[in-house]
Amino acid sequence: MLVLSRKVNQSIMVGDNVRVVVVAVDRDQVKLGIEAPREIAVHRSEIYEEIQRSNRSAAAAGAPVAAGAPVVTRAALQPRKKSQKPAKKSE
Amino acid sequence: MQSTMESPRMMTVETSRFGEVTFAETDLFEFPWGLPGFADQRRFLALSLAEQPSFIWLQSVDDPKLALPVADPWQIFPDYEPRMPAYATEALDVRGAEDFTILCVVVVTKDAEEMTMNLMAPVIINLKTRRARQVMLENSPYSVRTVIPRKHLEAQGTAQPA
Repeated sequence: MLVLSRKVNQSIMVGDNVRVVVVAVDRDQVKLGIEAPREIAVHRSEIYEEIQRSNRSAAAAGAPVAAGAPVVTRAALQPRKKSQKPAKKSE
Repeated sequence: MQSTMESPRMMTVETSRFGEVTFAETDLFEFPWGLPGFADQRRFLALSLAEQPSFIWLQSVDDPKLALPVADPWQIFPDYEPRMPAYATEALDVRGAEDFTILCVVVVTKDAEEMTMNLMAPVIINLKTRRARQVMLENSPYSVRTVIPRKHLEAQGTAQPA
């Protein structure tokens, strides 16, 4: 892991498109700002790791109970309807 | 199926759960960012068993052992209101509702006693481009492990056989 020391308002470039800025430091908490292209996902690591664990648990599921039944290759899934909820009274 | 200028290339994959599956190349969904936990996987099929049409498996065609169970969240949680982060709508170039669908990963405990759904990280699929991405709704009230009420377990047919 590359470790760099920065003071408040200093920043780090990750690759060509991502900048990490030290916005504030308060005792044991650091406030970081991330500038990145909009298609890049930025998340707290523990959230990302929780999703990883969840996906791996899901993928551990074995063959479904009805295994042996014909498999359908779902070429087309249904688009999401614009609004599934009943119309609300306008406020 | 709509007629196309030329027939799509047919392919097969020998999956560990479903045996040999034959599909058209145009059936594939591409995950350019992979999935958390499986960041290298790109190509998936959406499979379901004829008897369990609401239970979909995202089957990798590059790793025959990899498949994730997913389902339509609104069938179980009709008030689900995920707010898509910019990186989802932009990265997938989603414009109108007819362009995309949303599926959530389902975790089944090993004795099939409980099922949970990951409402915090839905899978967004652009139906036109067939590109997909799992996005994380970090600041939403939704949980990675939302318990699915028992009545849905029986309806899905995943409860123990009688």
